[in-house]
Amino acid sequence: MVRDALTAGPSEQARRDKLPMYWDFFDRIRSAYPASWALGCRNLPAAPGEGPAYLFVQWAGGVVTSCQVVGPDEPLDATYVLGMDYPDWKALHDGYDAQRTVMYRKIMLEDGDLLEFFKGIYFFVECLAVIAAVPARYPAPVQGLRAR
Amino acid sequence: MTQRKSPTAILHEGPRALSSDQVREIEESDLAGVLHVDIDDVIEYVHKDLKSLPGFTTLYRRYLKQRWDVYDLDFTQDKADWDEKMTEDERQSFIAVASGFHHGERQVEIELPVFMIGASEEEKLHIAAQIEDEARHTVFFDRFYREVVGLQGDDIMDILDASFPWVSETFVGPFGLLAYQADEVRRNPYDERARVRYGTNYFLWIEGVLALSVMKVTLSYARWRGFLPAYYTGFTATCRDESRHVQGGMRYLQQAVRKDPSMIGEIHNTLRTILSLSGVNSRQIYYEPLGWTEDEVRMLFFQQLRRKLNDVGIDLTPDLEELLRRVQPVLAGG
Repeated sequence: MVRDALTAGPSEQARRDKLPMYWDFFDRIRSAYPASWALGCRNLPAAPGEGPAYLFVQWAGGVVTSCQVVGPDEPLDATYVLGMDYPDWKALHDGYDAQRTVMYRKIMLEDGDLLEFFKGIYFFVECLAVIAAVPARYPAPVQGLRAR
Repeated sequence: MTQRKSPTAILHEGPRALSSDQVREIEESDLAGVLHVDIDDVIEYVHKDLKSLPGFTTLYRRYLKQRWDVYDLDFTQDKADWDEKMTEDERQSFIAVASGFHHGERQVEIELPVFMIGASEEEKLHIAAQIEDEARHTVFFDRFYREVVGLQGDDIMDILDASFPWVSETFVGPFGLLAYQADEVRRNPYDERARVRYGTNYFLWIEGVLALSVMKVTLSYARWRGFLPAYYTGFTATCRDESRHVQGGMRYLQQAVRKDPSMIGEIHNTLRTILSLSGVNSRQIYYEPLGWTEDEVRMLFFQQLRRKLNDVGIDLTPDLEELLRRVQPVLAGG
């Protein structure tokens, strides 16, 4: 589902809310994006004490060529490895905005070239919002969250 | 606020020398006196010392003399101007521009402490003062949004949440990068290359270009229309604070490059990322009600960047010059 959602891209509503030049930039980055993301979820309640699990997303030719969950004990090879705590993933899925998820350092780049990563930051943030809109279950309860 | 010149007058006139009286007025005015200081003079003052940058102890001593109390400002007249004199178009344009600053001040406050760890002892004094300045600027905007714009909330984050809908999606470019650079410095506080990349974004681009430009837009509007006296006073005093921050930041970058000339590559790489993002807007902001056009604002950005690079002696590579040419608008008639 995540792969389909990323391939489809931001909703018509999201596209209407921003200027065409912004989406031209988004489309230009996506068409030539050669990298992969490993989006980690730390502190999974179901696996206390274990390392994070990752959503691995590989981009090539403007589409997602690989999208899978990588467990804590499986090998991981991604251009950019990012990590975020379980409660912040839940907050993102509950509607917290993707821009502040980056700006308030809820999701952090743990491995990869920072300056290269940021050349595609608008693309990444919009994709993060797309991922957040995919239905997901968060079985463990989470306390209220504030910026930090 | 005695002059009523056009907001863009100085943009078209270009750089100029300040008289000793003007410099004295900027450096020595108390908070009440700042109301009568011309914002264009303060912006010019930022550049006055860039060719012979003052030391960090000098900047710290200036801070001690120029520190102001944000709770001394009285926003009563500003509230009346906002509600009764400004048009809806003016209010919407003003808040669209000011909200970036509301959030920007908070971001530069919280991302600065890690930079202090790897600094010299003298620079630590200057950075400690700067952190206090940025906290005061955050309170200034919190008060403005509560007492003038009328946003409501229990704490500072509530007000930030309430103004966030006015913040453009492209804000995450420089400020998200700063957050991640701060984390990079936190992990390796003595990594001079990471510090130079951080300093390029924070001191050169965010403070030296974005902040000074946005200050000029809203303050020249307030001066032109004779509105918002407490905003003009507090934000002009903020601009005077920023002059110390920019001078300190440029001194840091200049020293880093003199010590290790290969550091110029870190500055260039950082500018390459920033400039590749800077030609993109996600929203249409109408500057016309504030007396500006979008092209004039962007021209102001790049005028500010050029001046700092030239004054500090940082040359650009041909590809960066080309990138700059592509994103820089041509000012009509200029």
